[in-house]
Amino acid sequence: MNLSISLSPDILFYIGSFPVTNTFFWSIIITIFLILIFVLVGQRLKDKPSKLQNFIEILIEEAYSFVVSVIGPGKKARRIFPLVATMFIFVLVSNLIVYIPGQNAVSIDLGAGPVAIFRAVMSDYGLVLIMTLIAVITTQIVAIAVSGPFKYIGKFLNFRSPMGFFLGLMDLVGEIAKIVSLSFRLFGNIFAGEVLGMVMLFLAPFFVPLPFMFLGLLTAVVQAFVFAVLTLVFVSMASESEA
Amino acid sequence: MELFDALGINGKILLAQFINFAVLVFVLWRFAYKPILKFLEDRRKKIEKGVENSELAITKLEEIAEKEKEVIIEAKKEALNLINEAKDNAEKRGQELIKKAQEEASLVMLKEKEKLNQEKIEMFKEMKNNLSELVILAVEKVIEDKMDSEKDKEIIKKALKN
Repeated sequence: MNLSISLSPDILFYIGSFPVTNTFFWSIIITIFLILIFVLVGQRLKDKPSKLQNFIEILIEEAYSFVVSVIGPGKKARRIFPLVATMFIFVLVSNLIVYIPGQNAVSIDLGAGPVAIFRAVMSDYGLVLIMTLIAVITTQIVAIAVSGPFKYIGKFLNFRSPMGFFLGLMDLVGEIAKIVSLSFRLFGNIFAGEVLGMVMLFLAPFFVPLPFMFLGLLTAVVQAFVFAVLTLVFVSMASESEA
Repeated sequence: MELFDALGINGKILLAQFINFAVLVFVLWRFAYKPILKFLEDRRKKIEKGVENSELAITKLEEIAEKEKEVIIEAKKEALNLINEAKDNAEKRGQELIKKAQEEASLVMLKEKEKLNQEKIEMFKEMKNNLSELVILAVEKVIEDKMDSEKDKEIIKKALKN
């Protein structure tokens, strides 16, 4: 019995030259699952809600009122809500699906040794990076839309004074740092949880991993929330034109 | 890039993940968030309207109750007025009737009196006639019976003395 920990997701199989990794595979499954549930509920809204409809209603209503409380009511909230809410729901479900018992024991062997079919989706840095890029690029787009392209560039390249130039550079670094901090926060937490769980399971399979699993559960919810809220806050900051 | 390789970052997968996530956002927004938020808003409005309507209904009911009271009070007043008027009318008419009756009665009495008087007069007249006849008869009788010379002389004497 050996413990294999890899930073990168494992490739399950190829479609043509496209490598399907286990995280990609699961992210597709989660996407389909979410689309099915939400579209099913969204297209068949009843005045007397079912339990599922009730749950989703509460989730969306609370999320929307939270978005409104951060960014203010009106068009802005309606524009940014879909992105932020989807990030939250997607990350949350991705993180929670790890706790389906038994899934991490399933593996397949496609010639290159056994490969675990399942891996926590957010422990794929590529996916986290993409979501972070979407968040940060959205932030930049909002900033440009609010203050205009010249003012936006002027914020980073300020030649009026040495101090201003320096601060502009710092702003530029800050924007890049957003990508790194946002992505590695989520990836690091989930990956660490994954590794910790695996190690604990390897060392003492009974009862000992339980507290760590509870901790992981907490991390799963908190990180989903933090990721979505940080995106929301970045966008909301960018949307407030500097007066 | 060694770091990217270590992290398992692959351009194709990145693109696929991007499309995947974009599709998820779009589909959830178009087919779930939008209708659900609209639905919630509609329901909120419905409830708001319901509450407003119920408040309106309550105020209307209060107004109606007040109006009802006013109407009842007015009706009572009117009824009282009518009754009073009727009473007055009745009294007036009664008095009129009594007056008339009294007048008629007095008229009748007067007529009766006159009649009585006339009758009396007539009676006296008749009685006088009768009496004179009677007296004549009696006198005749008395004269027939005792008219002799003696008496005749006495009567003459008496008449002379007087």
